[in-house]
Amino acid sequence: MTVFHFFNCAILTFGPHAVYYSATPLSEYDTLWTSIKAAVVYLFTALVKLVCLATFLNVSESESDNFDPYQELLKALFGFIEVAGLYFALTQLTHRNISQNHKFQAVGLGWAFADSVLHRLVPLWFGARGLEFTWDYILQGLEANANLVFSISLAALGSLMWLRKNKPKTLIPIIYACAGIVATMPTIISYLRRGLGWHLPKVVGFELFSSLLIAFISWQLFVACQRPSN
Amino acid sequence: MANSQRRPAALDPVYYPVVALALILVACVDFCDAVTVVDVYRLVQYDLSGVPFGSRLATLNHHAGSSFFASSSTVDLSRTVLMLPVRELDLDLIKEYIGQGKLLGGLLLLLPPQFSPEKVETAVGGDEDFDLLRNKVSELERLLIHANIPYPVYFAFEDDNINAVLAEVKRNDASGQPATATTGGYKLVVAASDPKKIASPTITNIQGWLPGLKSDGDSSQLPTIAIVASYDTFGAAPALSVGSDSNGSGVVALLEIARLFSVLYSNPKTRGRYNLLFGLTSGGPYNFNGTQKFLSLQWLRSFDQRLRESIDYAICLNSLGSFGNELHLHVSKPPENTYIQQIFQGFSSVAEESGLQVGLKHKKINISSPRVAWEHEQFSRLRVTAATISELSTAPELLEGTGSLSDNRRSVSEASIIRSVKLVAESVARHIYSQEGKGTNIFADNGSLAVNPSYVRSWLDLLSTTSRVAPFLSKSDPLIMALQKELADHTAEVNVQHETLDETFTFYDSISGKLHVYQVASVTFDLLLLLVLGSYLITLFSFLVITTRGLDDLISLFRRPPSRKVKAV
Repeated sequence: MTVFHFFNCAILTFGPHAVYYSATPLSEYDTLWTSIKAAVVYLFTALVKLVCLATFLNVSESESDNFDPYQELLKALFGFIEVAGLYFALTQLTHRNISQNHKFQAVGLGWAFADSVLHRLVPLWFGARGLEFTWDYILQGLEANANLVFSISLAALGSLMWLRKNKPKTLIPIIYACAGIVATMPTIISYLRRGLGWHLPKVVGFELFSSLLIAFISWQLFVACQRPSN
Repeated sequence: MANSQRRPAALDPVYYPVVALALILVACVDFCDAVTVVDVYRLVQYDLSGVPFGSRLATLNHHAGSSFFASSSTVDLSRTVLMLPVRELDLDLIKEYIGQGKLLGGLLLLLPPQFSPEKVETAVGGDEDFDLLRNKVSELERLLIHANIPYPVYFAFEDDNINAVLAEVKRNDASGQPATATTGGYKLVVAASDPKKIASPTITNIQGWLPGLKSDGDSSQLPTIAIVASYDTFGAAPALSVGSDSNGSGVVALLEIARLFSVLYSNPKTRGRYNLLFGLTSGGPYNFNGTQKFLSLQWLRSFDQRLRESIDYAICLNSLGSFGNELHLHVSKPPENTYIQQIFQGFSSVAEESGLQVGLKHKKINISSPRVAWEHEQFSRLRVTAATISELSTAPELLEGTGSLSDNRRSVSEASIIRSVKLVAESVARHIYSQEGKGTNIFADNGSLAVNPSYVRSWLDLLSTTSRVAPFLSKSDPLIMALQKELADHTAEVNVQHETLDETFTFYDSISGKLHVYQVASVTFDLLLLLVLGSYLITLFSFLVITTRGLDDLISLFRRPPSRKVKAV
C-alpha cells in the first residue's frame, strides 16, 4: 500500500516532465540529447552553488524559524549562479540545428527534471514508503510541477534575452523584470514560508498560481517578440 | 495560524480562490498529525514447569480498535489491536474474552498516569477513586499473569498523544467504520523480535556481616541475629514492577537498620555480643528461591562453617510500607515455643510503647508442597528460629503481591517504614543488650541514633523507580552494585552470591519497547489519487498537444495509421 503511495507521488513528481516531452514537438525533433546536456549543466551548477552556499552562509541552528534578510539576500545572489548556468546551457552548448523554440523547451525540461531528481527523489523514496500518511509528498509533487513551469518560463525568457537579437525595445525591460522575478522565486518562497509563516499547502498553492501567471506572461512576450521577425 | 490568515487580506483579490483552496488544504494537513511514539511495557511471558503463561508474542502490527463491540459481531478482531483504558475497562468482559481464548491482534492497556513509576509526585483527585482503580488494576493483573494469551499484550501510560489517538479511533469506531486496510485509520506497530528464553537467569544475594565483640574466644562462637529482606519483584509488566511496598519497604528498613547498628557497633563500648547478619535476598517471588540458596550448606561453608547453627534467630522484613497500626509476626513454629515467645514478647513490648499492635500468626509448613509463602519458612525448614514481620495478615499466592503495577511510591508512606524500622531495631537491640522490659529507648527520635527520614526517603525513591525482576537483572546491575556498596558502608564484610534461578521458572525477554502510531491512508484513497493523477496527466497531454500541434494531431494520435483496409475500400 505504501509502495503504491510512493508510486502515486512519483507519477505526480516526474510524470509531467515525460508528458511534456512526448506531447510537444520535442519528441519529434529528437531533442532528448539537449535535455540531457542541460541536466548535466544543472548538476554542475548545483554543485557550484552548493559550494558557494557552504562557504559563505552561516549555518543557523534554528533553520526553519526565522527569516534573516541578509542571509536570504546572499542566497538570492547565489541563485543567479543558476541563471549563469542556464545562460551557458542556452548559448554555449552546441546543438544540432534545432530551432530556438525547441531549444529553450528542451533546456528548461532537462533543467527541471534534473532539479526534481536531485531535490525530490531521495526524500520521496525514504518518506513516501513509510507507514505514516502525510500530504507532504503529494504537495511536493505539485511543487515539482510548478517548478517545471518556472524552469521552462525562465529558459524562454533567457532565450529571448540572449538569443533573439531583434526584439521590440519596449519589451526588453519587461523581459528582464520577469526573468528577475523568476530567478528570485526561491527567495520569495522562502520569505513566504519563514517570514510570513505560511504553511506548505498555501505556499504550494501560491507557487502553482504564480507559475501559471509567469508562464502566461512569458508566452505572451515570446509571441510579441516573434511578430516583428515574421 | 492567525497570522497567516490575516496576511492574505492585504493581498490582491486574485489570490482569494488560492487562499481558500490553501486553507482547505491546511485544514486537512493539520488533521493528519505526525507519527507518535509511546513507551510500552509488555506483559510478562514465563513458563511455570513448562506450562506457558502470559503474553506469548511481542511483535505488533495491526490497526487500532477501541472496544470489543465497536464493530459488528461479524468482524473478526484477530487483526485489530484493542486500545483499552484501564479506567473504563469492563473486567468481566475481558475475563470472559481471555477465558474463552478468543483471538485478538493485540491488546494495549492504557494505565492512568498515576501508576507510572516516574510520576510519583502527581496529585490524585480523589483517594477513593484511586483505591478503586488500584483494586481494578490488581484484579486485571492477576487475570493476565495466570492466563496464557496467544497475542501481544502491552501496557502504556495515558498521555495527551495517546489519548488523542484513542479519541480518534473511538470516533472512527462509533461512525461504524471498522479500521481495516481499506478505510485507513491508525496502525500500531511495535517492532520487536520474537521473545527469547533467558538462559539460566541469575539471582544475586547480598549479605553484610557485622561481627559482635568477642570476649576471648572466636567470634563465630557468638550467636548471630539475621535480618533478611528479599529485594526483587515480579509483576504483570516486568519493566514496571518496582514493588515499593513489597518489598522495597523491607529493603529500605533493612538498610536503615544496618546503618543504625553500624553506628552502635563502631564503638567497642556499644558493640554487642551478637553477630549481625544482613541479607538482601533475591528470588522472593519464586518461593524465596534466593533465600534457600543463601542458606544452602555449600555457600555457608565457604563463608562460615557454623553460621547456620549459630543463628539465634532471623527476622524477615516484608511489606512494611503502608500499614495502619497493626503488624503481623508470622511464624512456623507453634506459638508456645519459647524462642518464638521471646521474639514476640520483644516485639510486642516495643510496639506497645509506640502505640502499635503486633499480632502473632502461625502457619504450619507443608514440607511436601513446594510453595514457600513466607521468607522465614526457608529458615524454619532448616530448623532455624525465624519470623517474618509484615503488614499482610495472610500470605499472598505464588507470583502475586510482589511488585504489582499498583504497588508504587504512592502506596507507601515513609512514616510507616520509619515506625517499623524503630520497632525492629529497638527490639533487636534490647535483645542484644539484654534490656528487655526495661523501657530503654535506644533509637529515640531526637537522639544520635534516631532513624534518618531523608535516608529512608531517598532509598525509597530509588527503589520505587527501579524495576527489579530478578531474571532481568544482570550480575552487575547498577541496583545490585548500589545495594552492595550501601551494605559495605554499614557492615564489616560484604559477600555477594550469584546463583541460578530454580529451573521450574523460565522467562522470556523483550519486556519493553516503543510503540509507533501511524496514521495510514486507505487503499481507496491511493486508488482515487491514482485516478486523479492519471486524468491530470491525460489532460495535460491533450492540452499540450492541442496548443503546440493542434487538435488534428491529437485526434490522429488515437486514430490508427492509414492502413491497407482504407486502400481496400
